[in-house]
Amino acid sequence: MSAAVRAGWRIGAAAAALRGRAGRPLSQAAGEGSGAEGGGGSGSREAVERLVREHPVVVFMKGSPAQPLCGFSNAVVQILRLHGVEDYRAHDVLQDPDLRQGIKNYSNWPTIPQVYLNGEFVGGCDILLQMHQNGDLVEELKKLGIRSALLDAEKDQEKK
Amino acid sequence: MRGPLLAAAGGAMGGAGGPLARTIRAKLTAALQPTHLEVRDDSPHHGGPPGAETHFGVLVVSGRFTGLPLLQRHRLVHEALRAELAGPLHALQVIARTPQQWQSDPRVPPAPPCLGGSKRERRRG
Repeated sequence: MSAAVRAGWRIGAAAAALRGRAGRPLSQAAGEGSGAEGGGGSGSREAVERLVREHPVVVFMKGSPAQPLCGFSNAVVQILRLHGVEDYRAHDVLQDPDLRQGIKNYSNWPTIPQVYLNGEFVGGCDILLQMHQNGDLVEELKKLGIRSALLDAEKDQEKK
Repeated sequence: MRGPLLAAAGGAMGGAGGPLARTIRAKLTAALQPTHLEVRDDSPHHGGPPGAETHFGVLVVSGRFTGLPLLQRHRLVHEALRAELAGPLHALQVIARTPQQWQSDPRVPPAPPCLGGSKRERRRG
């Protein structure tokens, strides 16, 4: 490692220590606080902010909607599917350790999956399940201009 | 064991369990003064070795939740278990109800089945 890089590392580490975050990965330290360093990787606040805003429905999960790798993540995918929501952004945190930690920092939430509606953190699989069961999810989707498929299912029922 | 937590309450769940289960129980009791509390170790269903204590589900019934949306209720639970979640506790299913809600609906959904995700990653140190 060149002297310049080493010096940069020390400065970065010192700055992180001042912020009371010594020992955490440099990419995260760079991404926090003032962000003056210009964004530090896929787990930085700025990067996560861009991801949660890129679509009305954004999910951070393990695996993909086609192949979830975790029962909790799968539950989120299945619930969205029940409501006819197939067009959403899903990010596989198993592919990106920086994002995996970054999304937990961003929402101050310790686990995956995480569901964002209109850029706002809504909760994990337990909360989504309860919202599904008590009708809140249909309402929240409506606010996003998404008509839940369950409404059409109910209509069909009424016709019979 | 996949059945409702109620079925397990009288059996192995009551007060026993490994050290992490006991810690979870103690911390949630201290933080939230629950009128009803169940701590379920799901770790055996997620491919861990016996005694792994990595995946838990908790049912917390507490007056502290009154007036709070689900997100805030879960955050209170997470706060009580902050150290554990930063450490060995890998997954946590949370059901947080007020005493009134629990009385009118004592049903509890089972945890989703494991799809092997944790087998595909390195254990965090």
